[in-house]
Amino acid sequence: MASATTGTPTERAGGEDWKVGVDIGGTFIDFCALEARSGRVASLKVLTTPDDPGAELMTGLTLLAEREGLDPTTISRFVHGTTVGINTVIQRRGVSLALLTNAGFEDVIELARLRMPDVYSLFCARPDQLIARDMIFGIPARLRADGSEARAPDMAIVAEAVTAAKASGAAGIIVSFLHAWRNPAHETAVKQEIERLAPDLFVFTSSEVWPVIREYERTTTTILNGYVHPRISGYLTALEDRLKSRGVTAPALLTKSNGGLMNAAEGKRSCVQMLLSGTASGVIGAAWLARRAGERQVLTLDIGGTSADFALIINGEPKFGTGELIGEFPLHIPSVSVSSIGIGGGSIASVDQHGVLRVGPESAGSVPGPACYGRGGVEPTVTDAMAVCGWLGHSEMAYGQLKIDVDLARTAVARLAARIGRLTEATAQAILDVAISEMFVEVEKLASRSGVDLRDFTLMPFGGGGPMLGAFLAREFGMAKVIAPPRPGVVSALGGLVADLRGDFIRTVFVRLAETAPSVLLEALDALVAEGQNWLAAQGHEGPADLRISADMRYFGQSFEIEVPIEPAWIQDGDRAAMETAFHAMHAHLYDFSDPDGEVELVNLRLSAIGAGPVLEFPVAANEVASLASPERLIPVFIGNAVEEIGLFRRGALNPGEHFRGPAVVAQDDTTFAIPAGTDARVDCHLNIHLSFAE
Amino acid sequence: MFDQTNLRVFANHVRAAAENMAYTLQRTAHSAFVKETEDFTVMLMNRKGETFGVPMGLGATWYPGLTWGRVIDMVGDYRPGDVAFTNDPYSGHVATHAPDTHLWKPVFHDGELIAWTGGHIHNTDMGGAVPASLSRALTEIHQEGIRFPPMKLVREGVFDETILSIMTTNVRKPDLNVGDIKALVGALNTGERKILAMVQKFGKQAFLEGAEALLDHAEAQARSILRSMPDGTWEFVDYADEDSVEANPCRLKLTLTIRGGEAVLDFTGSDPQLGSSLNVPSGGDPRHTILLVGVYYVLYTLNPNILLNTGLTRPFTCIAPEGSVLNPVQPAAVGMRSLTCARLRSVIFGAFSQAVPQRLPAAPAGNNCIVNVMTTDERTGRTVLAAVNPVVGGGGGMPHRDGTNGSGADAAYLKNTPIEITETEVPIEFLRYGLARDSGGAGRWRGGLATEMAFKVFAPGSRITARNRDRSFFRPWGVLGGRAAGLSDMVLNPGTDRYLRLGNIDTAVLQPGDVLEIRSAGGGGRGNPLERETWRVARDVQRGYVSVEASEQDYGVVIRQGVVDEAATARLRSLAPVPVAHFHFGPEREGYEAQWTPAAYALLTEILAGLPIHWRFFAKTEIFRRMKDRVGHDGVAAAFAETRARFQEMPEPKPVTRMAAE
Repeated sequence: MASATTGTPTERAGGEDWKVGVDIGGTFIDFCALEARSGRVASLKVLTTPDDPGAELMTGLTLLAEREGLDPTTISRFVHGTTVGINTVIQRRGVSLALLTNAGFEDVIELARLRMPDVYSLFCARPDQLIARDMIFGIPARLRADGSEARAPDMAIVAEAVTAAKASGAAGIIVSFLHAWRNPAHETAVKQEIERLAPDLFVFTSSEVWPVIREYERTTTTILNGYVHPRISGYLTALEDRLKSRGVTAPALLTKSNGGLMNAAEGKRSCVQMLLSGTASGVIGAAWLARRAGERQVLTLDIGGTSADFALIINGEPKFGTGELIGEFPLHIPSVSVSSIGIGGGSIASVDQHGVLRVGPESAGSVPGPACYGRGGVEPTVTDAMAVCGWLGHSEMAYGQLKIDVDLARTAVARLAARIGRLTEATAQAILDVAISEMFVEVEKLASRSGVDLRDFTLMPFGGGGPMLGAFLAREFGMAKVIAPPRPGVVSALGGLVADLRGDFIRTVFVRLAETAPSVLLEALDALVAEGQNWLAAQGHEGPADLRISADMRYFGQSFEIEVPIEPAWIQDGDRAAMETAFHAMHAHLYDFSDPDGEVELVNLRLSAIGAGPVLEFPVAANEVASLASPERLIPVFIGNAVEEIGLFRRGALNPGEHFRGPAVVAQDDTTFAIPAGTDARVDCHLNIHLSFAE
Repeated sequence: MFDQTNLRVFANHVRAAAENMAYTLQRTAHSAFVKETEDFTVMLMNRKGETFGVPMGLGATWYPGLTWGRVIDMVGDYRPGDVAFTNDPYSGHVATHAPDTHLWKPVFHDGELIAWTGGHIHNTDMGGAVPASLSRALTEIHQEGIRFPPMKLVREGVFDETILSIMTTNVRKPDLNVGDIKALVGALNTGERKILAMVQKFGKQAFLEGAEALLDHAEAQARSILRSMPDGTWEFVDYADEDSVEANPCRLKLTLTIRGGEAVLDFTGSDPQLGSSLNVPSGGDPRHTILLVGVYYVLYTLNPNILLNTGLTRPFTCIAPEGSVLNPVQPAAVGMRSLTCARLRSVIFGAFSQAVPQRLPAAPAGNNCIVNVMTTDERTGRTVLAAVNPVVGGGGGMPHRDGTNGSGADAAYLKNTPIEITETEVPIEFLRYGLARDSGGAGRWRGGLATEMAFKVFAPGSRITARNRDRSFFRPWGVLGGRAAGLSDMVLNPGTDRYLRLGNIDTAVLQPGDVLEIRSAGGGGRGNPLERETWRVARDVQRGYVSVEASEQDYGVVIRQGVVDEAATARLRSLAPVPVAHFHFGPEREGYEAQWTPAAYALLTEILAGLPIHWRFFAKTEIFRRMKDRVGHDGVAAAFAETRARFQEMPEPKPVTRMAAE
């Protein structure tokens, strides 16, 4: 059950060169394929098969072969993102692990950083840990903060712990000791001992996964890595076999939480790196599309069935952060920063006992889905409200795999309307207003946290639901522009296709700059550079290496750091003043003040090793002829408080240079773009639709 | 009348404005108190100064119901661009201790004042007798730092440099104060801008009505919750371990009456104002937010969709007699009111627990101990002053799950500092940071475990302060057959011959090699522990949360070599009596109340309330001093007679009719 569309059809020639990006999401697996010689683009969506992740990939390749003549042996680049890791955590289907840590500190992962999200509730609680307390073993061992040894690990206790862990069914062991960020010796010694005693168990140490200061963050990241390791590793092995069986010779590359790529061998060990691959590559794809369209300050909006994801692109680059949530656990490796709210197309509207309308947090999800999908859903959802208002239902959805039944939507919304004594259309509009206002709160938080003024930004909606609501949200923020990419449904798959190899490395040095010998930083830098270069080499990268250095710095007395880009020469030349100046400037930029007399601490040095992927030429229209586009027909849509006849356009029929005015609806195979009144729409040479709001 | 259906849209825009203010403040503030501890609030107020919007994710939890009308009225002639401020707990009763500096700004639209934005920051220091301006030992407000009565700080956009220079001259960290205050002014400006954007979106009239509709909605939600409770009157008493350096208990008493969607909280019978800084300056406002924080927790727990704003407070009336610990008069010190506030919350939890026993948890640990270390770094010779982890206890057993371990309930806002960071910055070495076995109250649902922290110092004369320590004598209570939790404690050099129990003391001086161990209380248990499934008890034992001995003694579960002996367990459980009382307080309180019976306290309250306010704490202390071997009403009568004989200057207590609010 699938269908495909073809981008710019050109004559097929021999010696084709296909680049294929694939992203597996919760409901669909998306394909974005480019034939590099002709510039032909094909996209495809296939429903996922939860029981056998990876099987639909073969279905997709079969369909691409049938419809596009894609010969798997001509695939020279295969990039793949998957939710198999994050789903393993969310569904708690990972393996049983044991944790060996310092005696006296066995509860570090349960105590976490103490603060809980719902601070007003007496029922606030932490999630059950991925490793229960009886599988955590305290080992007498201690390093001091300077890395010197206060007490060597007691290997007799290690042996007892390993025996007990095996007896309790552990498949792997996580080793995390205090101050391993400074000195990995204890972890390494204990790991060797475990491997000697129990070669059948896999072992990860915190210093090899992410050697950063802060024991909870480092340990929990290492645990996540171990928890998903066997499943991801098995999945990747099966994937490689399947690709090989189809004759695909290109190595499988994987999208990472940091928006970059790595090879499958790396993915099997550094599983934690790919937990957020889908959301990250969506933002990478959006950033790439935005740069091409000349937009550098962008808010991305990806609305799915149960949630909406937002990210900021500043100066053409996504923002990075740490502490992104994987299910209920924070992940402390660098990740493309994405904020999420539990409001999506499937969010259910309800009325409380005081007559106040709410949307969410309950969701009809993808099963049964909104009422208008006709799969048994009866509660009114955001998608149903869009259908009732008349925005949806003019084309098939998701490449023909969904049909909108407006009558079912109307029945669901009418029931709610009766309860509040309103007309069905007015109730539908109220549902949309509430849903947009819920997103408004989250985006306001993101903007104020980042210190940006959204009026300077362009909104780029993508995903199945982003273009449905995006323009309305942009209007709330007084954003002047919206840009809708030509294939909003496959932006994540595209993001993988255009991404670079990227490995992140960190060394905690934790020093006061004023009293630090230059050699301390230089040693750390040299080690990072070597690590980064080795990593790129191991990925099979042959081009030039782009090594970016940054430092996490803070004023003495602060307990959080900000990341500051650093020139290697500053460290090599011992130019402390340059580093401090860069820090003061960044602090002033982020926090509106700096303290030039304040003492500066350098906590971590970081390196990102980037190996650029091939430059891909996507089709660009040669000429844009400005002309007024004419709608296929007029359709009735309930706008604000009355029905208006507005234009319905087919996305495939819109040509570069054509323009029209809102309100309007643009229907396409993977989404519907709802365009509010008071806007001008224009199609650019990349087939993006640019909306601008009249002042 | 605002369209109720769309109220959520307006509420979201209000919340977005408040969240934006909060992030702006947190992002631009200078001090750790504001940036990291998040000891700040921001809010939107209607024309009368009633709070109608607060952030949910950031900041302190105390002030969503704050009303600003009194301080607003103390400053007149507001113009666009003005910002007024105060930190005086006794001027208008908005500030509740001197470090908390409250600012408010009028929002004008077309020359008409339509709303206010406001907020507070906890300044690192406001001067006075001790660094950080807070010590339990202080006895007068004048020792607690410089106070500014309500006045304009910014006039039409220009800071009053005179006021700033008076402040910077009198405080220990002037740059932090000024930086934080300016950040707060920036946040108020953001709020003003967002309000004006709302006016543009919704229209002025709809904005004004919307603000009122939010208050009305919160009120309606609160009344719905109260109506879901039975009408009736419930009494509850809880104690702080020590009222001052005199170390007598401080008693808080609440008589809660719920009737027809309204509630009266009568605190008559609580202690007189104290000769320490544990007083809570409510000004006798029957709806003062600081008296109602426990109520917010109860309401939010029972309906997580409730809007937090002043409307919530409308169905509630508090009675806090003047001259009592919950309504002190000048010059009573108030700096450490947070300790008393923790007990105030547990008194409210206890009263509501009787009203709706099936819906609320047992007592949380209720001792939010903040630990600071001042020591010398032997490598550099530098003096290092740092906050180490808060040592807080677990939540109470809930209706359907165990209490949260190591934090939770009304302590969930606190954060810790990684051991690795502290050890790198401060020359101390941790020996332990984790959960304390057997510290959670036993129950069908076990109370959350306490936190236990131990560290070693290396330099002579290392000074430790452990603020807000409590619950080292009076345990967090269990309910419905659940048992009271383990006590908090502070011990020097555990397991050595230099062992010393420090009890409730909140400061210590350590010498090289000394180890200090601090433990919090746990959360109370809920329901009969004999009804806890044996597998859960066995799992707790396996996880080290419960010892084999406690498993047998408290839960009646016999475990042999890690395996439940079902037959022995059934036998043991069949023999144990079924608990009948609603509360279990533990032997310490039971012993204390055998002497200090309700009748004893009734007489004490009557005597003290009849004395002039400045005599009351003195009289209480002297009566307590003479209670050895005395019991009950007659004991108090005898002790008082002896006190009067000793202090003939003491006036005759006047007969007191029941005190009303205000």
